[in-house]
Amino acid sequence: MGGVESGEVGPPRGLPLHDLGGQSGYGPVPYQVDEPAFHADWERRVFGLMGQALRRSATRPGEFRYAIERLAATDYFDHGYYGRWEAAFEVVLEEYGVIPRGAVDQRLDAPDGTGPSARVRGVIERDPDALPPDRPTPAPQGRTVRRALSDRPRFAPGDRVVARPGPADGGHTRLAGYVVGRRGTVVRLHPAEVLPDSSAHDLGERPQHVYCVAYDSAELWGPDAESATIHIDLYESYLDADQDQEEQ
Amino acid sequence: MSEHDHHDEHDDHHDPRSPRVRVEALEDLLVEAGIVDRARMDATIERYEHDIGPMIGARLVARAWVDPDFRQRLLEDADGLIADEGIAGAEMEHIEIKANEPGVHNVVVCTLCSCYPWALLGLPPNWYKSPEYRARVVREPRTVLAEMGLQLDDDTELRVWDSSSETRFMVLPERPTGTEGLSEEQLAELVSRDAMIGVARAADPTP
Repeated sequence: MGGVESGEVGPPRGLPLHDLGGQSGYGPVPYQVDEPAFHADWERRVFGLMGQALRRSATRPGEFRYAIERLAATDYFDHGYYGRWEAAFEVVLEEYGVIPRGAVDQRLDAPDGTGPSARVRGVIERDPDALPPDRPTPAPQGRTVRRALSDRPRFAPGDRVVARPGPADGGHTRLAGYVVGRRGTVVRLHPAEVLPDSSAHDLGERPQHVYCVAYDSAELWGPDAESATIHIDLYESYLDADQDQEEQ
Repeated sequence: MSEHDHHDEHDDHHDPRSPRVRVEALEDLLVEAGIVDRARMDATIERYEHDIGPMIGARLVARAWVDPDFRQRLLEDADGLIADEGIAGAEMEHIEIKANEPGVHNVVVCTLCSCYPWALLGLPPNWYKSPEYRARVVREPRTVLAEMGLQLDDDTELRVWDSSSETRFMVLPERPTGTEGLSEEQLAELVSRDAMIGVARAADPTP
């Protein structure tokens, strides 16, 4: 855990590898004007598998993203976005028993443990008490993560909020480390959604109101920051009211 | 940790660690097991390579430039408008359009993964999914945009949108000057994907 120490600039140390917002050490964006969607035919094949391969595995909200996040750094970074997808397909298809363990290695006559499954982190057992309580909502129409919550939202546009540190258990969350402990302002509400921190771990939907929260760049990166407002979407269970604000 | 994969293009056709080789084996396995139908797979790829792309977003932008009521609805109720337009696809639980105006510029990112409004813009370019863009555009957005060729005035307000829920964002660029006589179709041709992500402006008309 360990919140943000005052005066420290940038995201907290020790964030998971995919939590990249504000991380230092990265160079120029590999920008190409009008870059094509695919650079090689294998990328097309990976994309084409998405719809059908995952029908019987990793269908809960957040579950496939969590599989990508569990990959070893080499599998996450070395072959780009479609490289990550291919690796995560193998992982979830094996975990769900859709293909036998090691099936791709065997087919390639490669040594056991060549593929990403040998390096992936397992799904952690998340403590359900660390999550907000579940609350029943009407069954949605069609496939959607949106839910109709009868509870009133805790915050309204204009409210000052602070995100408390996220779970440090190696599980899934959509709370980006760089906003933790920083003071933001609710700008608007988005539709309420299933909480991926819960659904990715098969702990129920626990739907939440979702807020668009605005942060001044100086609040995130210090007084020398380039002037900008950074907006990010945060689930209600991530947020506390800004205490300093309430005392004023 | 560059995501450039040029070496993939040449020397790894037999490397069992390369995703190029592994996806071929995986596809064969899934087809043989009856889990994946290759013709449907080809149809999905075809659809996202040719039918679902930035021209969908560009059409909305061009119409918003010429029709104030359409523009207002696009900004206030994109979901309803998109449904009425018959636009369907993945990654569109909830869409919000952010309008550039004189003195205001918007740019979109997903720092945690690569969320992107597929139904309006098609599949994202690699640079959008790169660690460099994801790490830096929330921290030094003006520098990143300048490096990518977009210089903003110091007094232009810059709004960055990090897509961390299932809401997806698209930017409505400003209409270039000197486009008064152009048709909607001609206007749409000025609107690039990169302008609707917010790392470029709409193109000036060719004289």
